[in-house]
Amino acid sequence: MKLLELRRLSKVYPNGTRALDSVTLSVDRGEFIAVIGLSGSGKSTLLRCINRLIEPTDGTILFDGSDVTHITGEQLRRYRSRIGMIFQQFNLVGRYSVLSNVLMGALGSVGTFDSIVGRYPPALRQMALRNLEIVGIADKAHVRADSLSGGQQQRVAIARALMQEPQLLLADEPVASLDPATSHSVMRYLGYINRELGMTVVCNLHFLSLVREYSTRAVALKAGVVVFDGSPAEIDQEWFRHIYGEDAVEVEIR
Amino acid sequence: MSKNRHTIKQKALQLLFDWLGGAYLIATLHRIVWRVVLIGDSLPAAHSTLIANVPDWAIYALAGVLIAIAASVSGASLGLLVRGELSIGSWQRAAALHWASALLAVTFVTGWVVTNISLVDMFSGERIHAAGRIFSSLLTPHFAILPQALSAIVETVYLAFMATVLALPASLVLSFLSARNLMKDSLWKRFVYTVLRALTNFIRSIEPLVWAVIFTVWVKVGPFPGMLALMVHTISSLVKQYSEQIEDIDPGPVEAIASTGARPLQIVWFGVVPQVAIPFLSFTIYRWDINVRMATVIGLVGGGGIGTMLNQYQMLAQWHEVGTIVLVIALVVWVMDYVSARIREALV
Repeated sequence: MKLLELRRLSKVYPNGTRALDSVTLSVDRGEFIAVIGLSGSGKSTLLRCINRLIEPTDGTILFDGSDVTHITGEQLRRYRSRIGMIFQQFNLVGRYSVLSNVLMGALGSVGTFDSIVGRYPPALRQMALRNLEIVGIADKAHVRADSLSGGQQQRVAIARALMQEPQLLLADEPVASLDPATSHSVMRYLGYINRELGMTVVCNLHFLSLVREYSTRAVALKAGVVVFDGSPAEIDQEWFRHIYGEDAVEVEIR
Repeated sequence: MSKNRHTIKQKALQLLFDWLGGAYLIATLHRIVWRVVLIGDSLPAAHSTLIANVPDWAIYALAGVLIAIAASVSGASLGLLVRGELSIGSWQRAAALHWASALLAVTFVTGWVVTNISLVDMFSGERIHAAGRIFSSLLTPHFAILPQALSAIVETVYLAFMATVLALPASLVLSFLSARNLMKDSLWKRFVYTVLRALTNFIRSIEPLVWAVIFTVWVKVGPFPGMLALMVHTISSLVKQYSEQIEDIDPGPVEAIASTGARPLQIVWFGVVPQVAIPFLSFTIYRWDINVRMATVIGLVGGGGIGTMLNQYQMLAQWHEVGTIVLVIALVVWVMDYVSARIREALV
C-alpha cells in the first residue's frame, strides 16, 4: 500500500535556512494529501525534494520500495518520469501549442532527436488528446498555450503531467494564482484524477476550505517540522492557531 | 567570523578609496592647477614624469595616507559616502561631498590641459579658411567614382553579413555554455562557464580595429581579414548578449520539463530555447547592422570594402571624392538602420 516514504528528511540551504527539519512521512497509494503551512514553512521544498528537483541534505526517500535519495543520471530521469508535477505558475511553454505542451509530458519516453524534430509516436498524440479531454479542453489543442486563461493553463499542465502516467502527482500551490471559481474547477479535476484514475496526489494548499473539501489527509509544516498529520476534519480552531500562529484568522474560499 | 572578515574588507576598501582620492587630489592640485595653470610651466612629457619626479610621487602618496587617516578618524570619508553610510545633514557628509566635487573639478581642469583644448586653433582666420575648404569640397561630391563606391559598399554589406552568419554557430553553442543558470550544478560546468566568460570578455575588450590589424598580417590585406575581425568581435558580443538573455528566462518551464524526466538537451530545447529564440533573432539582425558600420571603419586599416576606398582617397586629399564616399556610407547605414529597426519591431 505504501507508495512513498520519507525518513527524517532535512534540507538546509547554502544560506543556512533549515527548510525541512527531519520530516518523516509515509504516503499510501490512492491518498490525496494536502500539505499546509505558512509561506516559507517548507511546503515547496518538500515537494521538490520528493522528485529531487532539490537535493535533500539528509534523510532517505523511499519510492515504491526502493531508495531514490542518491540516484543520478538515467535512473533519476526514469524516477522523475514516474512522478507528475504541476506548479503555481503553470510553467507552460507559452509560445507552443496546447498539444505540444501536453506532449512535453512524454519527453522522458521519446528520444532527444525525435522530440526536437517533433516526431512523436501516433499513440502518444492520441493519448495527449485523450488527456486534454479528461481536463475538458480538447477543443483548445491547437491554440497557443499563452492565449488561455489561468485555469485553462493549469488544466493543460495537468494533462501534461498525465502523459507521464505517473504513480504520484505533486501539485505546488496549483490554485494560488487563480480566482475562487477557477480554483474549484482545477481542484475538481485533481479530485477526479485521484478518485477515478486512482492517482496518488500530494498537494500544497493555502485554503483550509479546499483542504477539507478535497483531501483525504492533511499534513501541516511549521518551520520545516511536521506539526500535524491527520484527517482534515480534525483541524479545529486550536490546531489552526498552532499551525498558522496566534493572530491568524481563517479565510474561506467558496 | 565571516562577518568580521567582511567588515575588515570593507574598512580596507574604504581606506584605499580615501587614499587614492586624497593622493589624486593633491597630485593634480600641485602638478596641474599650481604648476601648469598658475605658474605656467609646460606639461612635462609623459616619460619624464614617472622617473625624474619620484620624490614628488612619494609626497603625493604620503599626503594621501594622511588624508585617508584623517578621513577615517573624522568620518568624512569618500569610501563611506559611496557606500551610503553618511547620514544626510551631517557635516561629514557635506565635507565628503565637497571632496568629491573637488575631485571632479580638478579632473576637468586636468582634462582640459592634457587634451590641449584651444579655441584659437579652431576659430582663427587661417583655421576657418581650412575648414571652409574641406567642407566645400565634401559638400560638392564628384560622382564619377559613384559606381566604384557603390560596388565597394556592396562588398562591405556582404562582408558584414558573412561575419554575422559565420559567427552564429559558435555564438549559439558558447552562449548556452556561458549562461550561469545552466552551468551551476557541477564543478566542471562552473569551470567551463568561468573560463568562457573570461575568454569572451577578454576578446571583446580588444577593438575590432585591432583584430583587423592582426588578421591583415595573418591573411593578406582585403575583405577576408576584415570579415574575420568582425566575426571574432561578433562572436564575443553575441555570446554576451545571448547568455544574458538565457540568464533572464523564467526558470518555471525549465523546472517543469525537468520534472517530467526529460534529458538535459530536451530540457534546454523545450524549457530555454522557446523563451530566447525571438530575442536572439533580434540581437542577430542588430549585430549585422552594427557590423556594416564597423566594416567601414575596419576598411580604413585594410579590411576591404568602402573603408579601404575611403582611406585611399583621403590619403590623396581628394576631398570631393571623399565626400561622395561619405554620402554613400551615410545612405547605406541609414537604410540598414531603418530596415533592421523595422524587422526587430515586427519580431517583438
